[in-house]
Amino acid sequence: MANLWQRLTQHDGNGWWNLPHTSSNELNPDFEGPIGGAWFGNMWRTLTHGGVSHAGVAFYWVIGFALAVVTLLEVWLFTVEGLGGWYIPILLALSVAKFIGVVAYFMHLRFDHRMFTYFFVSAMIVGILIFTLLLLLAEYGHQPALF
Amino acid sequence: MTQAAATEHHAPVENTSTGLNSRKLMMWAFLGSDVMFFGAFIATYLVYRGKSLVGPYPSEILDIPITSVSTFVLLMSSLAMVLGLHYVKEGQKNKGTIWILIVVVLGAVFMGFQFFEFKTFAHEGLTPRTNIFGTTFFILTGIHGAHVTIGVIWMAILAYGSHKGTLRSDNSLDLEIAGLYWHFVDIVWIVIFTVIYLISATDGPPLGVGPTIVH
Repeated sequence: MANLWQRLTQHDGNGWWNLPHTSSNELNPDFEGPIGGAWFGNMWRTLTHGGVSHAGVAFYWVIGFALAVVTLLEVWLFTVEGLGGWYIPILLALSVAKFIGVVAYFMHLRFDHRMFTYFFVSAMIVGILIFTLLLLLAEYGHQPALF
Repeated sequence: MTQAAATEHHAPVENTSTGLNSRKLMMWAFLGSDVMFFGAFIATYLVYRGKSLVGPYPSEILDIPITSVSTFVLLMSSLAMVLGLHYVKEGQKNKGTIWILIVVVLGAVFMGFQFFEFKTFAHEGLTPRTNIFGTTFFILTGIHGAHVTIGVIWMAILAYGSHKGTLRSDNSLDLEIAGLYWHFVDIVWIVIFTVIYLISATDGPPLGVGPTIVH
């Protein structure tokens, strides 16, 4: 059972949710699939690179196409009435998906050294904290005169 | 292939204290600081969202169809960027040069859209001094536009270098670092497009105040 679990969820000993163990200058490390993990990794390998485990040109086109489709979906949602309170959360979720797509694959964090991911994620955390603090201050702090 | 065997194919570890290339690490550190920079401006926009007392208001002036096209253009420039880097790293000079040039063209088209938008807004009475929406909108999108402009100039220089043969696979890190910057500009726009345009586009005048622009 443990072996089956490992075969389903891991790829060369590196679970799909884990950051890769790669050097910093490798364009497409041989043993890192675009998604990672055997089940996703095998699917992408079949789709994008004829059985070779890393991402190639076709994979970048797939990601580009997906980003375009999500943008189209966002614009379509803008025209849909009746979403009510779901409108903003859905848009934010789609925006986060696009954000991750670009950062992970176009900016290569999925294939790059994990230190770069730590750098960027740390900055994101601080950035989001600044963001949240500003919004809280605006909600509960002194309101300046506007024009 | 075992992990140990695969590691043999990797590029040598950099001779630095982190084992990483310092220039690349510097770019990531810069992008981290830029996250906070843009985060502050986006938060400021949201803090003052819907608080303008005079128009024009977002619902009267934002043009979603046109901005959607410019968003698509910028997304595709990111795709062109990653393809350009791929071909330069593989030593395919002509393909690399063409894709970097496509990045330059798409970036310039995006700037054109922004110029057109700013000009239209000014014509309809919205400037940075008109109201709090104008101030926060122009500062945020203007700073992003300045980033795009710098990126376009940077890419044009690299495209010229690729054409002349000074940008090759052995020094493709120059392009990779510029690419990181370019993709970052793209992800900032992803957030701006969602928050400023799609979410705020329905923001009208405060209750009891009539529309400013009558079409």
